[in-house]
Amino acid sequence: MFLILAVPRDDARTIRRIGVAFAIAALVLSIVVWVNVAQVAADESGSLAYPGEDHAWISAPPFNVRFTLGADGLSAPMVFMTALLTTLALYYSARTLEVRVKEYFILFLVLETCLFGTFLALDLVLFYVFWVVGLVPALLLVGVWGGEGRERAALKLFLFNLLGSVMMLLAILAVYSQAGTFDVLGAAAARPFSGAETPWTARVAFLAFFVAFAIRLPSFPFHTWMPEAQTAAPTAAGTVLAGAFLGTAGYGLIRIALPLFPAPFAYFVAEAWVLPVLAAASILYGALVCLAQWDLRRLVAHLSVVQMGFVTLGVCAAAVGHAIDPAAAASALAGAAMQVFAHGAIAGALFFLVGILYRRTDTHDLRSLGGLARRMPHAYGVVLVAGLAALGLPGLVGFWGELFVFKGSVGGAIAPAAFVGALGLLFAAACVVWKVVQHGFLGEMNGEKWVGLEDVTTWEKVTLWPLLLLVIVFGVYPAPLLDIVNAALALLLERLP
Amino acid sequence: MTLEQTLWLLAPELVLLGDGALLLLLGALPIRGDKRRWLPVVALGGIAGALFAAVSQWNVEVRFLSVLSCDRFSVAVDVIALVALGLVVLVSGFYARTRRVRYQGPFYALFLLCGLAICLSSAATDLVMALVALELLGIASYVLTGYVRGDPRAGEAAIKHFLYSVALSALTLYGLSWLYGVTGSTGLEAIASAVRASEAELRPAILPALVLIAVGFAAKVAAVPFHRPVPDVHAGTPAPVVAFLLVVPSIAGFAVIMRLFLVALPVDLVVLDADWRTLLMALAAITMTGGTFAAIWQDNVKRLLAYLAVAQAGYLLIGVVAASGQGIAAVLFALLAQTFGTLGALTAIVALARHTGSYAVESYAGMHKQAPEVAWPLLVCLLSMTGVPPLAGFVARLGLYAAAIEQGLLWLAVVGAFNGVVSLYCVWRLVRVLFLAPPVAGAQQAGGAIRRRPAVPLPLAVALGIAVTGVFATALLAGSLLTLLQGAAQVVSSV
Repeated sequence: MFLILAVPRDDARTIRRIGVAFAIAALVLSIVVWVNVAQVAADESGSLAYPGEDHAWISAPPFNVRFTLGADGLSAPMVFMTALLTTLALYYSARTLEVRVKEYFILFLVLETCLFGTFLALDLVLFYVFWVVGLVPALLLVGVWGGEGRERAALKLFLFNLLGSVMMLLAILAVYSQAGTFDVLGAAAARPFSGAETPWTARVAFLAFFVAFAIRLPSFPFHTWMPEAQTAAPTAAGTVLAGAFLGTAGYGLIRIALPLFPAPFAYFVAEAWVLPVLAAASILYGALVCLAQWDLRRLVAHLSVVQMGFVTLGVCAAAVGHAIDPAAAASALAGAAMQVFAHGAIAGALFFLVGILYRRTDTHDLRSLGGLARRMPHAYGVVLVAGLAALGLPGLVGFWGELFVFKGSVGGAIAPAAFVGALGLLFAAACVVWKVVQHGFLGEMNGEKWVGLEDVTTWEKVTLWPLLLLVIVFGVYPAPLLDIVNAALALLLERLP
Repeated sequence: MTLEQTLWLLAPELVLLGDGALLLLLGALPIRGDKRRWLPVVALGGIAGALFAAVSQWNVEVRFLSVLSCDRFSVAVDVIALVALGLVVLVSGFYARTRRVRYQGPFYALFLLCGLAICLSSAATDLVMALVALELLGIASYVLTGYVRGDPRAGEAAIKHFLYSVALSALTLYGLSWLYGVTGSTGLEAIASAVRASEAELRPAILPALVLIAVGFAAKVAAVPFHRPVPDVHAGTPAPVVAFLLVVPSIAGFAVIMRLFLVALPVDLVVLDADWRTLLMALAAITMTGGTFAAIWQDNVKRLLAYLAVAQAGYLLIGVVAASGQGIAAVLFALLAQTFGTLGALTAIVALARHTGSYAVESYAGMHKQAPEVAWPLLVCLLSMTGVPPLAGFVARLGLYAAAIEQGLLWLAVVGAFNGVVSLYCVWRLVRVLFLAPPVAGAQQAGGAIRRRPAVPLPLAVALGIAVTGVFATALLAGSLLTLLQGAAQVVSSV
């Protein structure tokens, strides 16, 4: 799984080839992992993790930080998505990038490694290490190769996320002082903070975790770094940032925040009402910004905010519902996990497309575009599929995530938030149809400016088609994905008190 | 104890002293030109010998000469300090040669005397011995500060450093004599038993003494608000000496602080234990915050690093305050991490100064193009200094925070963590210039005729290599290192 690009010379062509080759190798390995996990799930032997690496790292007596990796039905699809997006992004970069190729490819592979590590780590400190180290290549990718306003955007990305991360680190140490282990599963099994003490320690620790995840997710009101970073990021880095980097937060919510803190989580959902409000606000606010936004890239970034709102909503529903209505909780959690995966494919495709458009038109302003469908029918198709998938059109992958989240949450305590979410989705749909489709692709050609536009070329199709294929295949036939996700989540829910 | 045994226990100190004397002698000989390049080699040989002698004493635990103790704690501190000193000498060797420093023999001899002082201070179990050792260190460092004559700023720095330190030493001495007056002894254990016997009556008299001692030692490790002259001194001092001042004296300072407070005022006391911890806690919080926030506005790289090092002292104090075996081990580990991180960064700065000709942050623009072989290690060291995983600095912070949380000092860990974020912003300003900004045309001319990618001179490359390897290796081997250091920490924490 781990690859280090150690052949850096000034020969850009070789570097490009090696970079893409390694990414493909990782992609193949990630498929192997998926297949293995699927087999384990099919056995129903009840073992959670596909056994991976396990080495002691810092094992001085009071400490026992281990280098433990493992995959299950929750992480395997995300690892695959990361590998796929990185491969496509590097392929795209190999075609477009001219400056500082060597550093770019190295950083990109470091980012991929960190994302893998985040999805696979079964030790809290290891998770934190990958979580934070991943920020450094993200910072540099945006800061060095980005577009206008890149330095500010990169710094904002870095500091926002780092702030959340250090809170998480302290919470990890607090968990350790309670549970006596850094092991993700072991710590959850030890039920930290279940003693007779005040529940507030647990709640503060939970909030620290939640804020770290909410910042990266990104959830309203911590989302402001994201559109800025996405606007400034180079296209290829933007796709990975949106598709996989944000996904780590959704994954963290399901894998760490929920099992470690079931009680505080339920408290903040059902009694304090903070989390469902944030989730609903993310969806609604994201949708409203989409309505007001004419910059295509920012619009797509806010679509991510909308989609990730559903992840929060799903986990909230599971947190509050798992004791009352296990079926609904399982549905909501599966929806959240599906949504994380779907968002990877959808946001990836959309960002690629935005990049492709930008290369031709040099603008992100929808008002100056118009009638592109005539010149770029292929691009129009991609926008339709990915955009509608984001809005949960049946038959596309986004549908399942949103459907399950709704299904799991309408009956429970957070039904109002789910309704607000549905309303938000409506706004977002209106925005996509009205703005992107009508303004950008249909309608009158905006003067003679775009007459000479070239449609999506073959190599660009290579970057788009795998993602669209996923969107459609898993939209029509989600069973392979759903089965392994459900197997992993059933186990996760079973272990909650 | 026979004379031979005593001499053997003193071996690291004696080696350093002998080598220092040899260097003084060589310095007095009329050696010219090329042959002087062997002086740093002689110094390094002495350091290596002392290192070897120290390591061989790992399993010894014995008191000798009634004021010294050879135990794992002293050995651990000695090893860290000698590694740091070795790196400093490597860098200084290069500097002294290119800047044509006069009287190079004594220059290195002073470094070795500092090593001697640290070895003594780490072993001192008596107030007087500790103070004498720290004063020896102080005197050598004043001279080093002003060693490059002809630069008025260096002279100013030396005078400032001298006056300030002497004043604070006087305070410390006053506090120590007070402690002696109250308890009737200068031995740490004797003080502990005297205090234990009648804690309540002695408390009013000991408290002022504690404040005075804490102030004095806070100045030794450059804790805020007693750090004032540090950045000023560093702006006017040769960079290798800055590297020395930022790292080495604080190793000695922390060694003495840990032994003094934990042995003389052990944790089983009822109120006095809480007293000194509260005092240092406040100092830790102020130091972390003050150092970090002051670093935000620094435009001089040396000053920037100086303030970050000031903040480092605050993080280390967290571990001292935790006063547990885990905390002390974390402090020792952090000292090691700091040795590699801070010294590595300063080595890189010295190497880059050949291109930039100045220490202004802006002059580092585009250095990743001109000198990538220095810029990348610099980045690694800076990240380690700010506690970014998975480097040494991160493991150190992890240990320190964990020790604090274990002792119920969550708030101190929170203060530390937030300062960690701010310090990353400080470092970002330098990293941004290094990696994102295009090279400045003016910088090209400042250093005269500069080739586009000149090789890094060998001593600097070696020092940089050791530092970067150290930053990674200490993190990778953190488990076994921490286990070793816990053995060392038990000596002082379980009294």
